[in-house]
Amino acid sequence: MADEITADFEKRYGGGPSICAALRVPLGSPHVTVLFGPSGAGKTTVLRCLAGLERPERGRIRFASEMWVDADAGVMAPPQARGVGYLFQDYALFPHLTVAGNITYAIHDLDRVERHLRLAEMLRLLRLEGLEDRRPAQLSGGQQQRVALARVLARRPRLLLLDEPLSALDAPTREKLRGELRSVLRGQSMPTLCVTHDWVEALTLADEVAVMAGGRILQTGSPDHVFSKPANAEVAAIVGVETVILGRISGRQDGLAVFDVGGKQLWVVEASGKGEEFYLCIRAEDVTLEIGTRPSSSARNHLAGIVTDVRPAGPVSRVAVDCGFALTALVTRQAAQDLDLKPGTPVTATVKASAIHLIPR
Amino acid sequence: MNWAPIVLTLKLAGLTAAILLVIGMPIAYWLTYSRRRWKFLVESVVALPLVLPPTVLGFYILVAIGPKSPLGQAYETLVGHPLVFTFEGLLFASVLYSLPFAVQPFTAAFGAVDPKLVEASWTLGISRLMTFLLITLPLSVAGVVTGVVISFAHTLGEFGVVLMVGGNIEGVTRTVSIDIYDEVQALNYAGAAQTALALLIFSFAILSVVYAINRNVWAVWPMK
Repeated sequence: MADEITADFEKRYGGGPSICAALRVPLGSPHVTVLFGPSGAGKTTVLRCLAGLERPERGRIRFASEMWVDADAGVMAPPQARGVGYLFQDYALFPHLTVAGNITYAIHDLDRVERHLRLAEMLRLLRLEGLEDRRPAQLSGGQQQRVALARVLARRPRLLLLDEPLSALDAPTREKLRGELRSVLRGQSMPTLCVTHDWVEALTLADEVAVMAGGRILQTGSPDHVFSKPANAEVAAIVGVETVILGRISGRQDGLAVFDVGGKQLWVVEASGKGEEFYLCIRAEDVTLEIGTRPSSSARNHLAGIVTDVRPAGPVSRVAVDCGFALTALVTRQAAQDLDLKPGTPVTATVKASAIHLIPR
Repeated sequence: MNWAPIVLTLKLAGLTAAILLVIGMPIAYWLTYSRRRWKFLVESVVALPLVLPPTVLGFYILVAIGPKSPLGQAYETLVGHPLVFTFEGLLFASVLYSLPFAVQPFTAAFGAVDPKLVEASWTLGISRLMTFLLITLPLSVAGVVTGVVISFAHTLGEFGVVLMVGGNIEGVTRTVSIDIYDEVQALNYAGAAQTALALLIFSFAILSVVYAINRNVWAVWPMK
């Protein structure tokens, strides 16, 4: 028996839209699946069905050998029986309990010594030492977020469900906590399902991305695959970033980092983030194409390649170029005609070093 | 001053409030969280004593607990004496009469608790009952206190229902309001004034306590 969560269900709202989801999540590892999509896509409903807070009208949810939901058989395990950790978007901290009271809320079945050890472990893991006697109202947004995560992790859930974990925070705090959240999740032994509409968050956290819109999962795959090779125009419009490549820093020079990607060198203005491995994200509108040999300009990156696909999208054309890795460029339709771009045309793609967005892994 | 009616009234109001605390909370919990379509019918029934004249309510209760009714007969075979014109009968009537004064504040207070907190507790593995005791109740304590105190105060002042159901038996069913009425009928204005003033001061004190609590939710659940 493969240890995984398999979910395939439909939730209908009276007269309103229906939300369908088919997912598989492996158990026993810190695998992070990100449900990515615009608000109103039904992402939160998927989490709520998994947590047992909503009852799907159709389908099944199975956790390893346990049947959580089987609509046909009338099986609906209550949330208490599922052992999931659900992190609410606005944290849902208990206002009348202290930080320590919130964190130990669900572990009163442990004996006193063990409970204290667990509390100390959580305070340390989420850097909350010294705050244990505060009330939620006396904490900053970032601290509240960490208390909520500590409360959820304290009882060692079997599955972690995060609903827009960072969206309630201001931008600088979000920036800081993103990497931290990733390392906390990496250190756990259970899989995570995380809902977000922020593509930086998705790329930072995800081992796998499921793109959702209109109550349907449109595409599932590794982050660079989903972002670089959207299955259709709808997915492309949702993810927004057309080229995502995983790369390692191979050198540094004059404040620029050099990446070796697909036999080409890419120069990137380095972000403040630490680490050696990054996702390189390039928006299609930041890529310019020219016919023939390498022109000289202020841009650092000139990449010789071959056009593999030209797809008109309204007033513009989306041009896929193979330059050792797949790169997507957005050019006006007129330009595509003038340059006579078609599959097989040799081009030089130019990207400014400052237009490449780095996301640390 | 005649103390018997005052003691009797306090006993009646205290017991009524205590009973309403016990039976009002499950009703309020159901009204808050149920998704039944016919919930509005239960809400209407609970609110009926607010609009019915006490004599109408009293009349139906009198018929319902009278010696010829199934309820009255069952009580008589069980206890040995009839329910009507006894303290127990009066207590039964008072509980019904004050039901909305307890249930409505309870329901409002439970409903004001963020449902996410309740759901968070459930997903943390805590049962519905324990979630109610650990989260919903502490966060709605001001509303619960309000409901208990208001139903206590409301019972203190009831007249019509008591007159219909209790009769006017000294030491058994003669409450303060009936006593005042009797004194006035007997043209003993001095006696009536004394008792009336006592009731006025007492009612004012109770309402002050309720409003003081509601001004600061944490007055009865102190911030550390």
